[in-house]
Amino acid sequence: MRAGDAVRPRGPAQRVLAANTWAVYVFLYAPILLLIVFSFNDNRIVGVWNTASLRWYREMLDNAAVLNALRNSLIVALASTAVSTVIGTAAALALERFRFPGRRVYDGLVYLPVIIPDVTMAVMMLLFFVEAFVIVQAVLGISPSLGIPTITLSHIAFNISFVAIVVRARLAGLDPALEEAAADLYASRWQAFRRVTLPLIMPGVLGGALLALTLSLDDVVVTSFVAGPGSTTLPVYVFGLVRRGVTPLINAVSTVMLVASMLLVLGSLLIQRRSPDRA
Amino acid sequence: MTTTPSPASTATKASEALAVSTAAVELAEVVKRFEDVTAVERLDLRVPDGEFFSLLGPSGCGKTTTLRMIAGLEIPTEGSVRIFGEEMGLRPPNRRPVNTVFQSYALFPHMTVEQNIAFGLQMRRTAADETRRRVAEVIELVRLGGMERRKPQQLSGGQQQRVALGRALVNQPKVLLLDEPLGALDLKLRQAMQLELKELQERVGVTFVYVTHDQEEALTMSDRIGVMDAGRLLQVGTPEEIYEHPRTRMVADFIGQTNFLAAVAQGQGEARLADGRTVNVPPGSTSGVAITLALRPEKLSVVPAGEPSPSGANQLVGVVERRVYLGSSLTYEVALEGVTLRVRQENTPSVAQCREGDRVGIRWDPASTTVLEE
Repeated sequence: MRAGDAVRPRGPAQRVLAANTWAVYVFLYAPILLLIVFSFNDNRIVGVWNTASLRWYREMLDNAAVLNALRNSLIVALASTAVSTVIGTAAALALERFRFPGRRVYDGLVYLPVIIPDVTMAVMMLLFFVEAFVIVQAVLGISPSLGIPTITLSHIAFNISFVAIVVRARLAGLDPALEEAAADLYASRWQAFRRVTLPLIMPGVLGGALLALTLSLDDVVVTSFVAGPGSTTLPVYVFGLVRRGVTPLINAVSTVMLVASMLLVLGSLLIQRRSPDRA
Repeated sequence: MTTTPSPASTATKASEALAVSTAAVELAEVVKRFEDVTAVERLDLRVPDGEFFSLLGPSGCGKTTTLRMIAGLEIPTEGSVRIFGEEMGLRPPNRRPVNTVFQSYALFPHMTVEQNIAFGLQMRRTAADETRRRVAEVIELVRLGGMERRKPQQLSGGQQQRVALGRALVNQPKVLLLDEPLGALDLKLRQAMQLELKELQERVGVTFVYVTHDQEEALTMSDRIGVMDAGRLLQVGTPEEIYEHPRTRMVADFIGQTNFLAAVAQGQGEARLADGRTVNVPPGSTSGVAITLALRPEKLSVVPAGEPSPSGANQLVGVVERRVYLGSSLTYEVALEGVTLRVRQENTPSVAQCREGDRVGIRWDPASTTVLEE
């Protein structure tokens, strides 16, 4: 027998494991595949295949409500990602590098949004805004209402935690002596951060930012609580459509969201995998 | 040990006064406390310009903390740190005229060898062409030619160590601080680097403050050594002074091997051992005071038991408990009443060898005894 021809013994355990692998693939990817396939279906009735067409994609682009929701989603996602990345990175640095009163409490609290259920977070935020509006009106005399700003603030609130976790993991693997060495070589605190710390934690920062972007684009629960009239985001809009009966339009919108999310996650993974010497 | 003669101390004061203007590093009554732990306790130290000074002590003795206080990475709880006469106070590390070689090297992993070495010059806004010239010079000095574009991960431990050294030296610091820089290297490389470091220090003429727990390293390289233990500076002196005349039991024990014999001073240069025998010791101790005699193993010699001792020499009789063959030398552990003395003898044809169980005499010159009063 040649060496390359090694016969692998196939016991029952192997067969079960192989079958399980296929079952998992089918379970995970069949619905996705179905969604993508039916998004190209010309028929008005969702589950009945007719002919392939881009009808629903065209309809999506012609639908003002969809485009408005998409625009809102992008505004909220980009704004909340930018702000939460800066604050989350700062929080990670503070927790990992500095000693200050209340650090332990802060350490626990910063992860709270990750643990508490979305619904709780949503109710919490809504209550907060309602109370805040009362105060704002009493003090400044203007009456704010729910809308894009409140959605953005809520997304910032939960995204900070996720960014902080990802960045902190990166920081924990960073020798504190590197920052001391920078200081010893005449770098000010800011220069040491710019030239040494930031380039080395950059994969974590970008990974955290992409995670925040994805979470913001996907969020339904929190957003639907704190959104005002006319400030619907894309996932919330899709959710609303479903309640009014599924149309193939949803398939097209969902496919677009799916592809966008997958690209973001892929990007996040690629960036995080880059070794620090090439960051 | 007691030092009584007064003319000598006036001379010391005069030379200290002279040294004030040239002290590269001066610590006065420095204390460092971390919460409730005292890392450094009332430390006074003066390192003259151009000296290779080592802080030697077991781990946790406060030597690295002392170094970090000079660098500005720690701020003393009390006391003052001066560098070339200038009070450092709360001045941060980036505004002190010193550079550090870190124990972990702390090379920037995202920069090449060249970029690492140029970092300090860039931070001080040195002109680009001067930066290039000085980086090239230093790469030559630390023998890293051809490695300019490599990243630290692509270098061996010894090469990384040289980058760390070059990165500090390129800034022409007034004082170079080194925190166990050879600790991560294997024995052979460490010994080679010891000589190289010493040579480099002599060539560039920069004051080195070198932290190590390795006594051999300190003895090999240093002009002077400060021995630390439990946050205190126990003794400062040349390697020879520290080895030949340790001032405390801790110093004698930490540097090299030492036999300790408890005794009571009798006056007239004599001391009575615990078993009642009298030996000659260097004079100076007050009669009746409890003292410890510190004897280096190589200062003792084993002689046949019956051999009469020459006048003035000390000789005790014991039994060889253990004989350890070390190639160039032999070590005997000889049991006397109550104590075991370690004797090291060169493995030369003229020296008589003995076996375990032999009754032998141990002989030494009283002048090579160090008397410790504690």
